[in-house]
Amino acid sequence: MSKKYSVFLTALFCGFLGVMVTANALVPDREFSQVENRPLAQRPALTAKGLASGDFMSDYESYVTDQFAGRDGWTAAKAYLEKAVGKQENNGVYFCEDSTLIARFEEPDQKRLTNNFNYVNSFAEKAGVPVTFGLIPTQAKIWAEKLPAGAPNYDQTLVMDQARESVKAQFVDLTQALEGHKGEAIFYRTDHHWTSLGAYYGYVGLSQALGYEPVPLAQYSKTTVSTEFYGTVFSSSGVRWVEPDEMDIYVPEEGITVTSHTYDSKGRPVKEPRQLYDESYLAKKDKYSMFLGGQQALGVVETGNTDKPKLLLIRDSYSDSLVPFLTPHFSEIHLMDFRYCKLSPSQYIADNGIDQALVLYSVPNFVSDANLLWIGR
Amino acid sequence: MVFSSVFFLFTYLPVVLAAYYLAPLRWRNVVLLVLNLVFYAWGEPVYIVIMFASTAIDYTHGMLVDRCKRRGNDRGARMAVASSVIFNLALLFFFKYWNFIAGSLGVLPIIESLPLPGGGSIPFTLPIGISFYTFQTMSYTIDVYRGDAGVQRNILNFGTFVTLFPQLIAGPIIKYKDLGDQIDHRDHPVERFAAGVQTFVVGLAKKTLLANNLGMLWDAYKATPVSQLTTAGAWLGILAFSFQLYFDFSGYSDMAVGLGRMLGFEFAKNFDYPYISKSLTEFWRRWHISLGSWFREYLYIPLGGNRVSRPRLLFNLMVVWAATGIWHGASWNFLLWGLYYGVLLVVEKFFLNRFMEKWPGWLRHIYALFFIGIGWALFAVEDFSHLGPYLGAMFGFGRGGLSDGAFLYYLRSYLPMLVMAAAASTPLAKNLWDRLGQTSRKVLIPILALGGLVVCTCYLVDATYNPFLYFRF
Repeated sequence: MSKKYSVFLTALFCGFLGVMVTANALVPDREFSQVENRPLAQRPALTAKGLASGDFMSDYESYVTDQFAGRDGWTAAKAYLEKAVGKQENNGVYFCEDSTLIARFEEPDQKRLTNNFNYVNSFAEKAGVPVTFGLIPTQAKIWAEKLPAGAPNYDQTLVMDQARESVKAQFVDLTQALEGHKGEAIFYRTDHHWTSLGAYYGYVGLSQALGYEPVPLAQYSKTTVSTEFYGTVFSSSGVRWVEPDEMDIYVPEEGITVTSHTYDSKGRPVKEPRQLYDESYLAKKDKYSMFLGGQQALGVVETGNTDKPKLLLIRDSYSDSLVPFLTPHFSEIHLMDFRYCKLSPSQYIADNGIDQALVLYSVPNFVSDANLLWIGR
Repeated sequence: MVFSSVFFLFTYLPVVLAAYYLAPLRWRNVVLLVLNLVFYAWGEPVYIVIMFASTAIDYTHGMLVDRCKRRGNDRGARMAVASSVIFNLALLFFFKYWNFIAGSLGVLPIIESLPLPGGGSIPFTLPIGISFYTFQTMSYTIDVYRGDAGVQRNILNFGTFVTLFPQLIAGPIIKYKDLGDQIDHRDHPVERFAAGVQTFVVGLAKKTLLANNLGMLWDAYKATPVSQLTTAGAWLGILAFSFQLYFDFSGYSDMAVGLGRMLGFEFAKNFDYPYISKSLTEFWRRWHISLGSWFREYLYIPLGGNRVSRPRLLFNLMVVWAATGIWHGASWNFLLWGLYYGVLLVVEKFFLNRFMEKWPGWLRHIYALFFIGIGWALFAVEDFSHLGPYLGAMFGFGRGGLSDGAFLYYLRSYLPMLVMAAAASTPLAKNLWDRLGQTSRKVLIPILALGGLVVCTCYLVDATYNPFLYFRF
């Protein structure tokens, strides 16, 4: 290498570092990442204590990487590079047919799964009302044909079989109800949830166990509320080449009131009005939270059908889009989410005159949930 | 702090280069010492105490050895060497092996009943790089005694050697006798810097693009339940691990060499295409060269080397290989792995070499790669209850059969990466490169260097990509 060429190469390397250093210095820090849906690390304060413990260093490293100039572009480029070298997945998400992204379903922790079945059983024993336990299979099962050939996934049917054996409450496996319609848009292509249409078929699948005559789909008219929905699987995949999802609703919300029961910062109970469809979320990243306004510890949906029974629904977020279909058949639907709610459900049933209970989870959430302990209390 | 991180590349390294080159020549060692200490303290500030202690104690021992030797006091010099070796080994044993030894001997329950802080097991994390720098400082006093290295009278210079960040945490293991002169006097020609840039980018790409990527394939097979392991899958997993370990380690060594060059140093290479070896003896001449030569110089030869009776030679070899194994980690499987090589190398030395010379080249390659692969299985599967079934699967006794859909999926997904890794494991690319005309090379170097940096940055930024899916529930 000649001296001149070495100077050039040295300048190139230092220039690249220099450009990135300058860009990082100039680009303003962001508070929140829309794509990653989390607050980004901010510049940590330099304290003697932080230095001694090493917290300052790790915080500073997080700060530098979180605020790295063009962060979203770099990660998107990585997903493209992975695809270019023949990968069929990125960050645990498979690239599937029809512009679809499907998260891998890993083998569940058997101990947790057994415990969770037991918690459902002890709830069913104490509830004092008929209890139905439903599991919703997800894309990795129902849309398996869209996956890359041979893509490893744990078989959700095995979880269903275990549930059938272990659970003493009435068990509803929604596989059949959904599989019959797998050619339709029953799941989002970029989100882990089912669509309103998928929820409708779930509602039909639950009808016998819950004792209602399902309203035919033709009686409802479909309203498209968004055509720009990019969901959670989109976020975790880093993939940027898929089409956005469409979001539809079917059931009108007239005459339905939703109240979320929560606590203020001083621990006093607070009632907060919500809606069946909170359209303010459609302007945000987290559009699925339009259904019932997203997560809540305890929500009560009053339908005006005062002659109908009261349902307690112990659930994950899949139920948010199911509830609209249930409204014609119940006077009240009480929704409990045990990530946030630590009430005793059997006590709650007694206190509120609940007539029947439904425990409904998607398979991936059920096998990984660490809070079901509370439903057995 | 690791080299393959956004923080190192775009915060620490620019600061190092700016501070180092802005400082006047005679201040550079001091600047480097401070930067080294920042580097080491970054992950675990408390352990900077070890750096100070190591520097002060080994410096003093070196001076002591030198003084005794000058006064013709060989006994004193030997005592000083012994004291230094004991100190360094004690440091290593305390932090790296105490929990393992105590746990294996079953004495933990006894120790735990004693009123000791931490209940007898050491609650600390392993100080990074301790296996590397204790070996480096140990060799210093030995070499001063042997007359192979001059004593370092400037404690700041000595500190710069002990803490030198490019090779502090993952080697190569550089002996003071090879570096002492460069510590005292070195120049900084731009040609060396430019060569360092190339070596560094090659190393970064090996680590970030090949090792990390194929590491994910190995992780998938490591996590595969025993009941689903197939023969093809078990071999694919070990293949992935072989590449992961080689590119991880040699990539890190390349980055160390590259960074060293940017700071005016020249380190010896640590890997020389180990996977093209035609025997296991050759493999160990090409794999982690600095470790092999360290054990040869400071353990094998002092034990008598090969100028001893045959039983003693066998003993010496087994000691060296047990030490080599356990050096890699405080766990039984590493000891097993070391002894595995001890036995195989003895077999080659006394028996097989005569026959192997007549084998065709391809057979010798297959022979070497086969045993290297089995060796990596011992190395990689730390859980003994998993090791048996894993080896069983490799030999066709897998409960998952010969092959399955997942194997085909992984093979298809990783084939381009595997082909690239295989090509990069041989001198093929380098030979092609050397045959290119000088003009082509001059055009390609900046494109590859810059392209490599950009692509690695994509992967490094993505490694911290951490979507918070609270609504994932």
